Amino acid sequence: MSDTLAPERETRPAPPPQEPRRRRINLGNVLVEGRALVALAIIVVIFASLSPNYLQPDNLILMTRHVAMNAILAIGMLMVILNGGIDLSVGSTVGLSGVIAGYLLQGWDMPITQLVAYPPVWVVIIGAVALGALVGYVNGLLVSKLNVAPFIATLGMLYVARGIALLITNGETFTALQGEEGLGNTGFVTFLASAPLGIPMPVWFMVVFAVGFSLLLNRTAFGRWLYATGGNERAAELSGVPVKKVQTLVYVMSGFCAATVGLLLTADLPAATPRAGEFYELNAIAAVVIGGAALSGGRGTIRGTLIGAFVIGFLVDGLVLVGVSVFWQQVIKGAVIILAVAVDQLQQSFQKRRALRKVAASTNRPGSPSPA
Amino acid sequence: MFRTLTKATVALVGSIALAACGSSDADTSAGASGDEGGGGGGTIAVITVDPSNPYWKAEVDTAVAEAEKLGYETTVDAHNNDADRQNQFIDGAISKQVDAIILDPAGADESVGAVQKATDAGIPVFLVNAEISEQGIAKSQIVSNNAQGATIGAEAWVEAVGGEGKYVELFGNPTDNNAQVRSDGYAEVLAQYPDLELVQQETANWDRAEGKAKMEIMLRAHPDIVGVVSGNDEMALGAIQALKDAGKLDQVTVLGFDGNPDAAAAVEAGEMVATVLQPIVDGTTLAVQQADAFLTDGETGASTEKQAIDCILITEDNVGQLDNFVMGG
Repeated sequence: MSDTLAPERETRPAPPPQEPRRRRINLGNVLVEGRALVALAIIVVIFASLSPNYLQPDNLILMTRHVAMNAILAIGMLMVILNGGIDLSVGSTVGLSGVIAGYLLQGWDMPITQLVAYPPVWVVIIGAVALGALVGYVNGLLVSKLNVAPFIATLGMLYVARGIALLITNGETFTALQGEEGLGNTGFVTFLASAPLGIPMPVWFMVVFAVGFSLLLNRTAFGRWLYATGGNERAAELSGVPVKKVQTLVYVMSGFCAATVGLLLTADLPAATPRAGEFYELNAIAAVVIGGAALSGGRGTIRGTLIGAFVIGFLVDGLVLVGVSVFWQQVIKGAVIILAVAVDQLQQSFQKRRALRKVAASTNRPGSPSPA
Repeated sequence: MFRTLTKATVALVGSIALAACGSSDADTSAGASGDEGGGGGGTIAVITVDPSNPYWKAEVDTAVAEAEKLGYETTVDAHNNDADRQNQFIDGAISKQVDAIILDPAGADESVGAVQKATDAGIPVFLVNAEISEQGIAKSQIVSNNAQGATIGAEAWVEAVGGEGKYVELFGNPTDNNAQVRSDGYAEVLAQYPDLELVQQETANWDRAEGKAKMEIMLRAHPDIVGVVSGNDEMALGAIQALKDAGKLDQVTVLGFDGNPDAAAAVEAGEMVATVLQPIVDGTTLAVQQADAFLTDGETGASTEKQAIDCILITEDNVGQLDNFVMGG
C-alpha cells in the first residue's frame, strides 16, 4: 500500500482521463458527466410522484438493501472491467460460496475420519470468502498466464462453479443455517441478516467495500497500475507495471466480492440454494456500464458504479411498487441500460472533439483564431 | 452379456433395424450393472429440466432408480427449459442409439420437433411432467394435472382466508407453460369470490430470492393483504421469509405448489397453509415402466397416450406422510 513506489510516476504516460486538474465548471459538462446521477434523480422523481410509498424511509432502506447486493458485485466487476476484462462467473460464485457456507454450518463430513466437523461461524465466513477468492484466482491465472480471453475463461468458470455448487448440495437446498448452541456455530444468520442502527448489514458491507476499493483505486500504487493497464497495457508494461500480477488480482477481488454477496444472500433468505445468483453477473455489468466505465478498460469509478447500481435497483423496485406489468419491466430496464451507454458514447466523441480543438487552438495560437 | 444382447434384440421390435449394431455395441458397457434387473438391458436416456430444483431432482432420481431396477443403463441430461439444448441432447441420444428416451419437454410447441426426430430415428419417447402440443408422436405423455392441482390448492387457500380481502400472486417463469396453467387454475376458483381482490401479480421466475425481494416491495404497496398465492413452493418460501421479516405472517395466508421438502416443513410449522404435490414420482415411475413394457412387448400397456395424474393437496393434516415428494403410509 506504499504510495512511494517508483512505477507510480512512470504510469504518467497513460493518465486516467478523469484527472480533476483545471476542470472548468460548466452546466452542460455536469449534466453529461453526471448523467447516471441525473438518471437516478429522474427515476426517483417519477416514482415518487407515482407512489407515495416510494420515498418513505422504510422503503428507501429496503430498496438500498436490494441495491447493496448488486453494488458489491459491481464493485468487484469494476476492478475487472478497469483492467479491460470481464467476469461472467460472479453469479455462480455467489451460489457456490453460499452453498459452502450452508454445507459447513450443517456439519462437514470430514473424509477418511468418520467425524463431522462443525466449524464456528467466523471459520465458515472466511472459508467461503476464501473459496470465492480462489475461484477468482483461477480465473486470473487463466487470463494472465494462459492468455485465455476473459470472456471465455469466466464463461467456463460460470459453469464449473455452478456445477460444483450442485455437486456439493446434490441439487438440494440447505435450510438449517441457524447452528446449535452446543456446537458453537450459531450466529451466521443473526449476524449477516441483522440491521445495526436500523441499517441492514448488506448496506454496511456496501459502504465498507465502496470506501475500501475507492481508497485502493485512488490512493495506492495498485490503483494507478490498474488504470494504466486498462488504458494501455503495453505502455504500462514498458513502464514497469507488473501487468500480469494486476490482471490476476482483479479477478481475485471480483471473486471475493461475489463470495461476500453469496454469504449475505444466504443469510437473507435464509437458505443456501445452488441456484442462488443466477444471472447476477448481468446486473453487475449493467451497473458498471451505467456508471460510466468503459468496457475496453482504463475508465470508471467506484462512485459511478454505485450510482449505476442504484439506478438499476431503484428502477426495478419502483416498477414493482407502482405495479407495472412484468413484461414492460424488462423492456424498460433494457432501454435504460442502452440509453445510458448511448449517452456515454456521445460524451466520449464530444470530449475527443473538444480535446482536439484545444490542441489545434494551442498550436495555432500566434494570432490566428481557432477554427471553431 | 448374452442376455443383454437378446434383450436388445427384443427391444428393437417395432423400431428400425439401423439401431441394431449400435445398440448392442453400447450394451457391452451396460451389461454389468444390468444383471440384477428383471428385464430390459440397454440404455434409457433421461432428459430433465433442472436437477438443482428438488422437484426435478426427484424426477431424475426416480427415473434412474426405476430404470436400473428394470435392468437398464441410464444417461442424464438437463436442458433448463432451453429447446436448443434439448435438441442437442436428443441428437446425442440418437447418435448413442439409446433404446428409449424419458423426456421432460422444454415447452409444448418447441419440443414437437425434437420428439419427432427421435421417433423417426426409431427411438421411442416417453414424456413426463409436461406435455407437447401434438399427439401420436410420443409413445406416452404422462402429466400431472396442474389445472386440477391449482383448483384444489386454491380451494384450500380460500377456505383458510375466508373468501374476503386483498391478495397478491407470485407467477412462475412466464415462458413456462405450467406457470400459466396454475395461474389460470387459481383464477378460476378465486373469481367465484367477489370479495377477494387480486391487487398485484408479479413474476419471480420460480426463484426463492426473487420471490422474497418482490414480496418485500409488494408489501410496501399493499400492506393490508390477507393472502399470497404462488405458482411454486420456492417463491412461496421467499414470500414467507419476507412476511416473517415484516412481522406480517400472522395476517397473511400463503399457498405453495409442488410439495417440496422445505415447503412440507413450512406447512408443518403452520407457515404455509397448503401446497400441492405433483405426483412426479408416480408419473415418472409409470413412464419408465411403460418404456420397459414397450421395449419388451411393443406396447406401453396404457389405453391412451395422454395420461393425467391428479395432484394431491398437502395440508397440516397429511404433511406427516410426505417424504421427499412421495406420499408414504
